[in-house]
Amino acid sequence: MNPRLDLYIVGWLLGLTGGFQIVPLLVALAYGEAPAPYIASAALSFVAGAALVWSTRVRDWSVRPRDGYLIVAAGWIAVSAFGCLPYVFAGVAGPIDAFFESVSGFTTTGSTVLTGLDSMPHGLLLWRSFTQWLGGMGIILFTIALLPLLGIGGMQLFKAEVPGPIKDKIRPRLVETARQLWLIYFGVTAAECLLLVLAGLSFFDAVCHSMTTLATGGFSTRDASIGAFESPAVEWIITIFMLIAGMNFVLHYRVLAGRGREVLRDAELRYFLVVVAVATAMVTLVLLGEETESGVAFRHAAFQVASIISTTGFVSTDFELWPPFTHVVLLVLMMLGGMSGSTSGGIKSLRALLGFRAFRATFGRLLHPRAVRSVKYGGRAVNEEVLSSIWAFLTAYYLIAATSAAVITLWGYDLETAISASLTALGNVGPGIGEVGAFDNFSHFPAPVKLLMAFCMLAGRLEVFTLLVILSPGFWRR
Amino acid sequence: MNVVIVGGGLVGSTLASKLARDGFDVTLIEQDPAKVADLSEHLDVHVLIGNGAAAPVLRRAGIENTDLLVATTNSDEVNMVVGLLGTALFEVPRVVARLRDPELAEGFGLISKDHPGEYVQVDPERAAVDRIMSLLEVPGAVDIVHFLEGRVVLAGFRMTASSDFVGLSLAHIRLMFPATAALVAAIHRGDAWIIPHGDEEIASGDLVYFAVVRDELDNVLALIDAAAERRNRVMIAGASRIGLELARRLEKGTTQVVLIEESRDLARKAEEMLERTLVICGPVTERELLEEEDIGRVSTFIAVTADHEVNLVSSLLAKRLGAQRAFALVDNPALANLIGEIGIDAVISPRSLAVGLMLQHIRRGRILSVAALLEDKVEVIEAEALPGSRLTLGTLAELGLPRGVLVAARARGDKLLMPQGGDRIEPGDEVLIITTSERAKSVDEFLSAS
Repeated sequence: MNPRLDLYIVGWLLGLTGGFQIVPLLVALAYGEAPAPYIASAALSFVAGAALVWSTRVRDWSVRPRDGYLIVAAGWIAVSAFGCLPYVFAGVAGPIDAFFESVSGFTTTGSTVLTGLDSMPHGLLLWRSFTQWLGGMGIILFTIALLPLLGIGGMQLFKAEVPGPIKDKIRPRLVETARQLWLIYFGVTAAECLLLVLAGLSFFDAVCHSMTTLATGGFSTRDASIGAFESPAVEWIITIFMLIAGMNFVLHYRVLAGRGREVLRDAELRYFLVVVAVATAMVTLVLLGEETESGVAFRHAAFQVASIISTTGFVSTDFELWPPFTHVVLLVLMMLGGMSGSTSGGIKSLRALLGFRAFRATFGRLLHPRAVRSVKYGGRAVNEEVLSSIWAFLTAYYLIAATSAAVITLWGYDLETAISASLTALGNVGPGIGEVGAFDNFSHFPAPVKLLMAFCMLAGRLEVFTLLVILSPGFWRR
Repeated sequence: MNVVIVGGGLVGSTLASKLARDGFDVTLIEQDPAKVADLSEHLDVHVLIGNGAAAPVLRRAGIENTDLLVATTNSDEVNMVVGLLGTALFEVPRVVARLRDPELAEGFGLISKDHPGEYVQVDPERAAVDRIMSLLEVPGAVDIVHFLEGRVVLAGFRMTASSDFVGLSLAHIRLMFPATAALVAAIHRGDAWIIPHGDEEIASGDLVYFAVVRDELDNVLALIDAAAERRNRVMIAGASRIGLELARRLEKGTTQVVLIEESRDLARKAEEMLERTLVICGPVTERELLEEEDIGRVSTFIAVTADHEVNLVSSLLAKRLGAQRAFALVDNPALANLIGEIGIDAVISPRSLAVGLMLQHIRRGRILSVAALLEDKVEVIEAEALPGSRLTLGTLAELGLPRGVLVAARARGDKLLMPQGGDRIEPGDEVLIITTSERAKSVDEFLSAS
C-alpha cells in the first residue's frame, strides 16, 4: 500500500470539490442570494485539499490494487463530507443531516432530509442536483478524464468505481474511455434539458432535473417531485431519459459510433427492457382494477417503473396509495436496478441475468449428469471466477440489506419501512414504502440510522466490495 | 494436359490415380520420402520429392507448362501458399486448393482475384456437412446427391425383405407407377455396381439409387415407404469441426441436438459455441452413456469423431440400442465396404467428397459437373448436349449407349424430364448421365461435338 499517494490523490479530489462549489456560488450570485455559505465551503475544501497535496510529498507513484480501493472509498467519503458544507453553512441542516444529504447526493440515491424545497435558495438546489450529476458517472472517473497528469489512470480505480461485474474499456486508453463516457453523459444531459425547456419547464428546473435524471439520482427542486409540474409531457420525457440512464453507457457509445445493430443483440439490454415492459404491464393492469383512467394509469405505471428500476427515485404520483401488489413489484425492481455500466444502483441487470442463467444451468446438470453446461453471456462462457464473484456479491448485498433492516427496527420502525429503507439506500433509489414513502422525508430517523443509511448508500454505489474490503482486517495487515 | 498435384495424402493420391486413368499427365509433389517411394510404385504418375510451397520445386515439376495445379496437403497454410504461387506468380490457368478454414479462404480469394487464372477452393469438411444435412432431409435415405442446380436428387435407399419393390423388375415398377418422376439409376448389390436396364430385378439387401425430380420427392418417398421418421432428435458423436458445424446448423431448426465429446476441453468449447445443443462429456462408445441420453428415441446418430474406427463402433452400438438411422464418418475404403453388411446406414467420406469436388472442377468444360458415388465406382455426369454431338443424333434407344451408361434426366429450360427409350436429346439440353467408372471415358465420345 502507498498511503502518501492515496492521501495526495484524496487531496486533489477535495481541491476539486472546492472547485465544484464555485458553481452554486455563481448561481447564488445570479439569483441575488447570499454567497457566503458557498465561499466558505469552497475555501475550506480547497484549503483542506491543498494541505493534503502539499504535505504528503509522494515519492512512490505506483498505484497498487489496495490503493485503488482505498483511494476510491476514502475519496468518496471525503468528498461527501466536504460536499455537505454548503448545507451546514446555509443553516438548512445539522452536520449529520447535511452528511446524509450529501452522501445521498453523490451516491445518486435521492433520499432527502430537507423540507421546504420549493422555497430553498437556488444555489443549494443546484448544489444538490450537481452532486448527483457528478456522482452519477463517478467522481474518480471524472478526475481521470480531467487530470490525466495526476498519474492515477490505473485500471484499479476504474474497476473499483464503475458498476457491474464485467468492465469494458471502450477506447484503448483509460483516459480516452473516461473522456468519451463523460462526453456522452454531458451530451445526453443537455439533450434532456433542452426537451424539458421545450415542454415548459423553467431553465433552472430543466437543468436540475436533467442532471438528476441522467445520474439516476432523483433529487428534485420541489417537495412534490415531478408530480408538482402536473405535465404529462415532462413525465414522459423524464421516463425515457431515466431508462436511457439505466442502460449501459458503453451501449450508448456504440450507438453513437454507428454500431446500433450489435447493441440490439445485447442480452443484458434485452433482459432489462423485458423486465421494464413486464413490470409496467403488471402495474398498469392493477391500477386499471382501481378504476383509474387507462392513459393515466399507463403513464404513472411507466414513470414509476422506470424511476424505480433505474434507481432514480422521482415520483409522479403518490404510489403509496396504490394497491399493495404494486409495492411488491416496485420493491423487486428496487433490488434489481439498471444495467451494468449505467449510473443506476441495485444489483444490476447483468448479475440478475447471469444468476438466473446459472440457476438454469444447475437444473440442466440435474437432468443430464454428464452434460457440460456453462453460463453464457454475449456468446461466450462466463468464467467461474466471475460467476462466484457474482454469487458473493449477491450474498453480501442481501446480508447488508437484512442487517440494516434489522438495525432500523430496533428504533421501533415497522418491517415495511425498515426493509424498504435499507433496500432503497443500498440500491441508491431514493423513496421507499411506509414511513419513507413517495412523499415522505428521512428526517424522522435518529442519527445512528441516518449514518447507517449513509453507509448503505456508499456501499451500494461502490458495489459493496470496494467498501467492505477496506473494513476487512486483512486489508490493513502488511 | 499437364497437372501438378501438391500433397500425396489420401486425397492427393486418389485424385492422381483417377486423373492418370483419365489420361492426364500428372506430377505429384510430396515431402515425405517414404510416401514418395510408395506412391511412385502404385501410381502411373511422376512423383517428385520436395516442398510444394517452394517456387523452385514447382518449377522443376514443370509448373510453367501446367494447365492445372491442385494443392491438397494437410495444411491449409501450405495449400494457400501453393495456391498463391500458382495464381499470382506462375499464372496457372486453373488452381484448386483444399482449404478447411473459411477465414483463410477469404484472403486467398482476394489476392487471386487480380490474376487471370481461375481458382477454386474445396473444403472437404464442409462438403461432408452438406452431405449429412441433405441425408437428414430425406428420411430413410442412405446417400443423397443433388444435381442440375438441386432440381434432381439422386437418393439411395436400402431395400429390406419387406419392401414392396423386392422381386420386381424395373420395367414392372415403371408400369405400376407410370406417372412417377423417378427412375432407378443404379443398384449396389454386394460388391458390384449395376447400371440397370428394364429387365433388372430388385433384390432384398440392394442399395437402390433413384433419380428423382426434387419437387416429387415426397410422392416417391411415399411409394418407397421409407420409414416415416421422428426427425427431431439427432445425436452427434464427436465435437470435431464437422460435428460442431452440424450441430450449429441443426440447432437452428426444431431439431433437438445432443453432442457427445470425450475430451472435456473440446466439450467445453463446443458448449460455448453452440446455443441449444446439449453437450455431453463422455466416451461415445459407452453403452451406459448412450442409454442415459435416451438413445432409443434418437432418429439419427451421426458419428464424426477423428477416429474412424470409433465412428463405426459407436454407430453400430447406437443402432443396436435403438437409433433409427446411423451415419459414420469413414475415410478408409476397406472399412467403408463393410457398412452395408454390418447395418450402418451411411458412411460419409470427406476424402472421396473432396476428390469428387475436385474432379467436378477439373473435368468441367463440356461436362458441367461430375460426382462420384460410393466407392468411386459410379460416376454421375452433368453435361450440356452440344449441337452435333452423338448424343443428339437419335432417340436414346437408337444411340446404342453402352451397357453401364444411363441418361437419368434431361432439362430443357425449366422443364425437367426422366427420359424414356423413345425420347430424343435436343442440342442445348442439360443431361444427367450415370455411368460406371470404367465406362466414363466412352461417355466423352457421346458428348463431344464432332
